[in-house]
Amino acid sequence: MSTRVILAEATKSLKVYFFSSRTIFWTLALPLANGLYLYFLYLPFAARTVDLQFTGMNYKIDLVGFTIVGQLLYTFFTMMLLAGAAFEAERWQGTLETVLLSPASRIAILLGGALANALNYMWMLVAVVLSWIAFIHVDTLITDFLALLLSFVLSYLAMVSLGMCLEAFFIYSRRGSIIVAWFQEPIMFFSGQVFPLQSMPAVLLPLSYMLPLTFGLIAVRFTLLGGATLLDVAIPLAALATMAVFFSILAKLLVDYAEKRAKVNATLTLF
Amino acid sequence: MNDLGSAVEVHQLSRDYVSTKRSHFLGRKSTTIIKALDSVDFEIQEGELFGLLGPNGAGKTTTVKILCTLLEPTSGQAFVKGLDVVKRARQVQKIVNMVAGGERMLYYRLTGRENLRYFAELYDVPKKDVAARVKTLLELMGLTDRADDEVEKYSKGMKQRLQVCRGMINDPEVLFLDEPTLGLDVNIAKDLRKFVREKIVREQGKTVLLTTHYMYEAEEMCDRVGFLSQGKLVAVGKPDELKRKVPSGFSIEILVTRLTNETLDGLKKLELVKKVITTDYEGEAEGEKVDRLIINVDSDKAVPQVLSHMASKRCQVVSVNLRGPTLEDLFMLYTGGK
Repeated sequence: MSTRVILAEATKSLKVYFFSSRTIFWTLALPLANGLYLYFLYLPFAARTVDLQFTGMNYKIDLVGFTIVGQLLYTFFTMMLLAGAAFEAERWQGTLETVLLSPASRIAILLGGALANALNYMWMLVAVVLSWIAFIHVDTLITDFLALLLSFVLSYLAMVSLGMCLEAFFIYSRRGSIIVAWFQEPIMFFSGQVFPLQSMPAVLLPLSYMLPLTFGLIAVRFTLLGGATLLDVAIPLAALATMAVFFSILAKLLVDYAEKRAKVNATLTLF
Repeated sequence: MNDLGSAVEVHQLSRDYVSTKRSHFLGRKSTTIIKALDSVDFEIQEGELFGLLGPNGAGKTTTVKILCTLLEPTSGQAFVKGLDVVKRARQVQKIVNMVAGGERMLYYRLTGRENLRYFAELYDVPKKDVAARVKTLLELMGLTDRADDEVEKYSKGMKQRLQVCRGMINDPEVLFLDEPTLGLDVNIAKDLRKFVREKIVREQGKTVLLTTHYMYEAEEMCDRVGFLSQGKLVAVGKPDELKRKVPSGFSIEILVTRLTNETLDGLKKLELVKKVITTDYEGEAEGEKVDRLIINVDSDKAVPQVLSHMASKRCQVVSVNLRGPTLEDLFMLYTGGK
């Protein structure tokens, strides 16, 4: 896998797909609007904290913080889906076959696109966090910065690798956006983005634990808002690391398979 | 043309497209199989400019897509420089490139230079060579002055020239040109043809497969041509050799109004006339629809015979042109005047 290809793809993606006023506006506006929606949804309730439990640990964390973290990580996840949508844009503008005409590593191309999305996400994250801190008080409780950093980094890696798996659909099918849209709402529900996971019926929990977003939310909420240490979040962090490796391997297999099937079914091109 | 061996070999190549349709939303699916290529065989020699000709839907683009690994054949085999295009696709991708007509295949928000640099990275062009190669290609195609403008500001001709630069970025051994002059104005198309023939083939010794449905383009450029019709390769050879296959030595091209079936039947029965083909013609003369006839004849003595027949049937002859056989006549012959 060539770093030159990763960098070239990331640079191209940033220039072609993100640096437009419309994209920048929606990148900022949507998470802010969604966050406000959730904030006002919880506002009428008397409780200002949420009980968050995982593997015997119980943290009382700030309701607003719970909402912000949920929104930010979910937005990041949808950004990863957008990296796949870039392939759809390539298909429409007639460049997908030009890219796949080259011998460049497909996984490097996907990673480049995902990195560009992640980079784009970073400034959005900073902007949103600063906005929330400026306007709404959030009770943070950080006791272990390493745990917090690892929670972010591993969430990021696991979600990038899952995003790459989903991108394979965009290579295979002209209906990639529809296929990926099927995943969006269930992921929002099963990950515990808007409600604590212990409220989920036990029978559905195995589905929740298949998602990196679930463990990312647990780790970041615990370490940022509940004062958890590295040892406290060892399980979700280990799950995230395992998922990052598993989904990376799966992405490579899926992308190779998708390209092969697309060549057989003649769906690499738009027409 | 060098005689160094085969750069491209195609054996019994077939490709079917499966199309499914529903009669209505909940209706049964019906499947149609379209045979785009049917047991095609041909070879292209090293350093040769080979033209694949045929009407729309003949299978030209399908052939190119299979050869440059974007599509897999249903059956048969194809090799580029001895490499199987299915089994060794990655190796094939390193030594080929493809340029298609139209304005796709480029990033409009990137500049011309950025486009080329991006593709240079995808092809793993040695880092030290990237800047020089991009510069040389831009100079060759006359784009240096606009290299740092976004492609969306380019004219159609400039985009097409940039496409050729992209197609040459990996210094391919075999270049596929799929209707590269489609939609270009006359001068730009002429320059592009000259560039491909003189620079890419003659000077650099590249092998080029060109698909086109412009017969004059093939006649002007190609060492050999192959005719595809409904997925079958119906003839392969040098243009001059193939032209000898035209049933008669001359063709009369006539633009005429008030043409009737009775006139056509009469024409076909004339002594020196071998074959009459009617083709579409977009135009009017004195407010009447103009038809174009290509009449294969044995000798120029047929001209007065044909004209007098037309006059007797009260047809209005707009123009008459007597010429020797061309690839277009052959094209008409093989495709039945489509």
